[in-house]
Amino acid sequence: MLDRCMGARLPGSSHVDALEVLLQGLCGGLRETIKVHEICLKTGPNLGAVASEVHLCCSLSQPEPVWSVRHVGGAMRGAGADQLPALVRPVLEAGISNNSLRFMYSLGYKLDYEMLRTGFSFQLHKTVPIAVTITISVTAVHRLPKIHAVDDPQPVTPGLQMVQVSAPASPDNYSEVVGAISGLAEYLAPLVHLSKPGVPAGIVPTASTAAAALVSRGGITKVL
Amino acid sequence: MTVKWLYYWQPSIGVTMSSQTLSIAIKRIEALHGVKTSRWQITASQFRPNQREPVPLVECARELLGVVFSEVPDKYYFALRQEHMVVEADATMQAIMEKLQVYRNRLTILFEGFQYELGDFHIKAGRAVLAHTENLRGIVLEVDYKPLSSVEQSRRVVQDFMEVWQKGETTGQFVPLDPNFSEFNLPDLYSWQHTALQYVTLMAFVFSQQRT
Repeated sequence: MLDRCMGARLPGSSHVDALEVLLQGLCGGLRETIKVHEICLKTGPNLGAVASEVHLCCSLSQPEPVWSVRHVGGAMRGAGADQLPALVRPVLEAGISNNSLRFMYSLGYKLDYEMLRTGFSFQLHKTVPIAVTITISVTAVHRLPKIHAVDDPQPVTPGLQMVQVSAPASPDNYSEVVGAISGLAEYLAPLVHLSKPGVPAGIVPTASTAAAALVSRGGITKVL
Repeated sequence: MTVKWLYYWQPSIGVTMSSQTLSIAIKRIEALHGVKTSRWQITASQFRPNQREPVPLVECARELLGVVFSEVPDKYYFALRQEHMVVEADATMQAIMEKLQVYRNRLTILFEGFQYELGDFHIKAGRAVLAHTENLRGIVLEVDYKPLSSVEQSRRVVQDFMEVWQKGETTGQFVPLDPNFSEFNLPDLYSWQHTALQYVTLMAFVFSQQRT
């Protein structure tokens, strides 16, 4: 699976509420709560052809924890990739049983860092011009003062949330998927400027006004 | 899920194991009106750490075992015997492990054959061969008594069945593989994780027989 993503920073809780209203109208679907304990593991010295990194994710938003393994490859490079408004990278994910951390430690992996991500997400299912499911997540990142202590998280950037828009693609259709993500980004423009990860986007000057309007109306008509 | 019991062929002293053994076992099943239903295949692999230097500088499991069942193609099972661990993952985990390159595949055994329905018994009869060769490493049976899901109750029924079924056989016998589920913290309810442990144990036994 190739993953396309764009991101932005969103300041202030009123902006977050407004974005949620906007997304509810755009996507029309269920809001999913995000509470993920993400553990980044790296190989010790001398293990593997090259040093490698893998992420264990434990979703804590359901009654029972759900574990998965995520491997993110290097971003697509070259002149063509530079022209794209979104980052393209190979991502592999697999569900795994709840003894996965002990398993990875047994394989020689070591804890590099960990964090707790909290927030929410929506999914937008598009059929035109191609069938694609776009995920928009709004999350805050927290550090854990003690190892695996998810009950006492501390925000890394208080007052700031990250907006990430991503969609799976294949080598055959990534340009269309990038187009779909860019199209969605335009609908979010009143509140956030989305850009390629690593490229500063800045804050929308009129975001506060737009946020106040959205929140006071309590919702918008779906525009697609 | 009902309990599966594995048996491996132990030839009598002076007798060589061959594919003929499997043919005889299948004839015995068919003589009792066993009905052939489908093919089956289980792929079990042994992996070793991929270390850049010959002297190990990192603590890691010396051996990683993996199993995939043709009946459950969307799952992959790992086992670490020294660490007493069985892990269940989506099949994509194989692709992730290939990307990580921390363990290399050393050997793969294919368990393959035909499945039969014999009343309330489901029997898989097949051979164990080294992957990409016709190198026969063993003859195996997997016996499943469908009405019972209790490990201990089904063990007794299957043992009684096997005793009667192979009575009079002089060239050898099918010996039960004793699973050690409790050492691996597996839940009481039988599952594919239990089956995975049985097959990696059988693979390790097959390898050890070859060495001796």
